[in-house]
Amino acid sequence: MDNLIQVVSIASAALAVSFGAIGPALGEGRAVAAAMDAIARQPESAGTLSRTLFVGLAMIETMAIYCLVIALLVLFANPFVK
Amino acid sequence: MTIDWWTLALQAINVLVLLYILSRFLFRPVVAMMAERQAAATRDLDAARAARAAAEAEQAKATAETAVISAARKDRLDAATAEAQAQKDALLATARAEAEALRAAAATDIARARATAAREDADRASRLAVDIAARLLARVPAALQVSAFIDDLAAGVAALPEASRAALVAAEGPLRLKAPRPLTDPEVRACRDQLAAALGRDVTLTLEVEPALIAGLQLDAPHAVVRNTFRADLDRILKELTRHGTRHGT
Amino acid sequence: MQSPLVTEALFHLGPVPITAPVAVTWGILAVLGGGAFVATRRLKLVPGRGQALLETIVATIDAQIRDTMQADPAPYRALIGGIFLFVLTANWVSLIPGLEPPTAHIETDAALALIVFAATIGYGIKARGLVGYLKTFAEPTWVMIPLNVVEQITRTFSLVVRLFGNIMSGVFVIGIILSLAGLLVPIPLMALDLLTGAVQAYIFAVLATVFIGAAVSEGEAPAPRRDSLQKER
Repeated sequence: MDNLIQVVSIASAALAVSFGAIGPALGEGRAVAAAMDAIARQPESAGTLSRTLFVGLAMIETMAIYCLVIALLVLFANPFVK
Repeated sequence: MTIDWWTLALQAINVLVLLYILSRFLFRPVVAMMAERQAAATRDLDAARAARAAAEAEQAKATAETAVISAARKDRLDAATAEAQAQKDALLATARAEAEALRAAAATDIARARATAAREDADRASRLAVDIAARLLARVPAALQVSAFIDDLAAGVAALPEASRAALVAAEGPLRLKAPRPLTDPEVRACRDQLAAALGRDVTLTLEVEPALIAGLQLDAPHAVVRNTFRADLDRILKELTRHGTRHGT
Repeated sequence: MQSPLVTEALFHLGPVPITAPVAVTWGILAVLGGGAFVATRRLKLVPGRGQALLETIVATIDAQIRDTMQADPAPYRALIGGIFLFVLTANWVSLIPGLEPPTAHIETDAALALIVFAATIGYGIKARGLVGYLKTFAEPTWVMIPLNVVEQITRTFSLVVRLFGNIMSGVFVIGIILSLAGLLVPIPLMALDLLTGAVQAYIFAVLATVFIGAAVSEGEAPAPRRDSLQKER
């Protein structure tokens, strides 16, 4: 198992992306549900709500992006791989 | 993971240069233009507001002038109305006064005419009454026409004032005795006796017939008259009545 | 597959290696600067179509800054608006075939975040004085000093990584898709990248505004990121 570090790196990268996707997915689902609820209650403010929703989603997505960056670091810039 | 520090520095410089360029060539002129436009809009708005204010002032002035004109017109109308009213009142008052005067004059005339008519009527009635009395008395029997008055003639002579009786006593010549009919001798005699008793001297009598006397006797002396006749009585009554009526007429 | 984290030097100017992001940024600089110079050379009092667009952009930036900071936007307009325009243009450079967004490389994002960091400190000192600005680190108590210092650094780092991760992941995913199926398939993802690029540019500018506003505002706690976002939207 000379390439144990590579195997662990790939496995941890997949783990990071998959688990890092769960949290933002749940968060985005709640955010969208709340936005839909608000739009259903007040259709006249749908424009403002949807714009705010987009920005919020981008902020939440950043969490997943962090995980992706970590995964990419592990894959391509692994300090333990010579 | 490697960071290219050269690239980092270059990018930082690039971004700073870009920020400067954008600030110098994009934001500053655009903002200046926007500010200039806003200033121009403010200026135009101010000008428009000033023009509007001026127009409103003009309008207010015109309104005030209109109000003044209408007020003057109203005053003139009121004055004219008041004058007309005054003239009408004056005319009415004059007319009423004239009518009043006319009516008063008419009333006075009527009253005067009525009084005159009443007086005349009264006079006429008095005269008529006296005439009627005269006619009636004319029917007195001839004997009574004289004999009943002989005593009264003497009494009348006796009742004369002292001066007149003295003049009568002292009078010389015959006394004129007027009678309504020719006297009979006994009557003449009775007269002479009575007069003599009254005057204290003998008198000579000149007999005259005067039918107007109706009844009674009238003794004429040079200075005194003793009337004892119906005519004299009637005249007195008539005078009395007429004076009465005249007094009431005025 | 080439790592998205390394940048190869295109050529060297003396000892200085010129990488692709730097070259692309030069191009963006030339286009934006030249465009701004040409567009603002003949401004009229009655705006034409292009001038109206420019004025709308500037007025919108002003309104956003005013809403977020509750202050006159004039001192911050050039910094915030310039960063927004640059990040937006850089994100959309991927529309041109063969070019990669400079923001897909961490050096560009780090440079931007460093500029924002320096501007935050600079505006804070300018508004409160050096002592006054340093005192804000001791709020609400001196115990919070390490946390506040760490917050300054981490939020700047977060700024870097957020922009870098979003743009780089877009470029990376499109690269993968291109290697699998070349024709027409990446188009929806490119459209999504455009949207992501615009949103990230907006978020970067708003966060810079919030940081500067928190440093400048007198005696107020730094505005919570989320509240400010929702409020200004």
